[in-house]
Amino acid sequence: MSLLLFDVLLCGLLLALALASVLSRQLSHAVILYIAFGLLMALTWARLAAPDLALAEAAIGAGLTGALCFTALARQGKLAASPTLSWQQRCWPALFVLVTLFGLLLLVLQLPAKPGPLPALVMQQLAASGVSHPVTAVLLNFRSWDTLLELLVLLLALLGTLQVAPAPVYQSSWVLSRSWSQLLAPLIIVLAGYLLWAGAHQPGGAFQAGALLAAGAVVLKLNHQLNWLAWRNIWVRFFAIAGLTVFVAAVLTAWLLSGALAEPVWLRWPPELAKYIILLIEIFATLAIAITLTLLVVAEQPATPLSLARQEDDEAADG
Amino acid sequence: MMILAVALLLTMLLGLWRVIKGPALLDRLLAVQLFGTTGVAICLVLAQALNQPALRDVALVLAVLAAAAPAALVQRLKQSSAKIADNAKERS
Repeated sequence: MSLLLFDVLLCGLLLALALASVLSRQLSHAVILYIAFGLLMALTWARLAAPDLALAEAAIGAGLTGALCFTALARQGKLAASPTLSWQQRCWPALFVLVTLFGLLLLVLQLPAKPGPLPALVMQQLAASGVSHPVTAVLLNFRSWDTLLELLVLLLALLGTLQVAPAPVYQSSWVLSRSWSQLLAPLIIVLAGYLLWAGAHQPGGAFQAGALLAAGAVVLKLNHQLNWLAWRNIWVRFFAIAGLTVFVAAVLTAWLLSGALAEPVWLRWPPELAKYIILLIEIFATLAIAITLTLLVVAEQPATPLSLARQEDDEAADG
Repeated sequence: MMILAVALLLTMLLGLWRVIKGPALLDRLLAVQLFGTTGVAICLVLAQALNQPALRDVALVLAVLAAAAPAALVQRLKQSSAKIADNAKERS
């Protein structure tokens, strides 16, 4: 009974926040409502007993989405003085969402009520995958092709974003905000390391750890720390593509190793090495995802002599 | 156990008023902060009620990142208002 009440309340809150966000008169208010919506979405995944998704949604929704939207608004100068949207500007997106929702509902209603044969198959093959958590086994062993392409998509998104990154804006930051972000950093690094390691036997893994690291790095970057974390740094470029490179290298190595067999299989790890291959890929994927997501939110054009001079002036005035 | 989670969600329902009505941006922001704290509590209760210990990790992530969005907002607000002041200076 109380479970039903919880579900009804949660759905009601989600709907109310979604409607309020879409129909909000000001963009900055819509962003805040959307952050609250993301939080409730994480709770919804938690309620559905899907901790992997809840972790990803918590790291992305609570940490990165807000920073990304606020940054976009600030760059257009619409954050402090947000223009009021007319009712047409609010209704067209709402209409679009409704049409998409209708299409998705049609698709969901066609899904069979019973689970297919795949979950049983995964549990049956789990011992040979090198990890004991079924989600990680699917993502990095049985369906590693999807994960490889996801890394590629992230890299392409980053390369596209860098082309249109805005010029840097130098601003001093508040002392309280800066010291808070410095206190937060070690906590986030420890927690990300834990999530990465835990991914082998319980919910967690490269994406969640990378998103968490990225959230910490974005907060530090907003407070003008981590100045080395920019695309001009050769090591940042190296680690941003290392996720993909190590993955492809592992695939090729595994392919060569299985060459002695009658039929070498593409993207299949040898069972005795699977654990180490997955760990290696996950470590580099975490770093690549963290760097990519950070730069997607706060990337800036390389500094010019003029902007560097301005920064020095600001710092001198600050001190 | 679930009745505790329902009680926590009811406090969120009260916060919903502040989030939707505002009136100011910072009122909404503080209500979202309240949502974050309640969300951590709900995750911990659900971890026990649904027997899903991994949800405690979700609570941990939510707690660590709770202040990230407000920090980003105040920093960007500062930048945005400085930009407007700059523009006004250039015009005058």
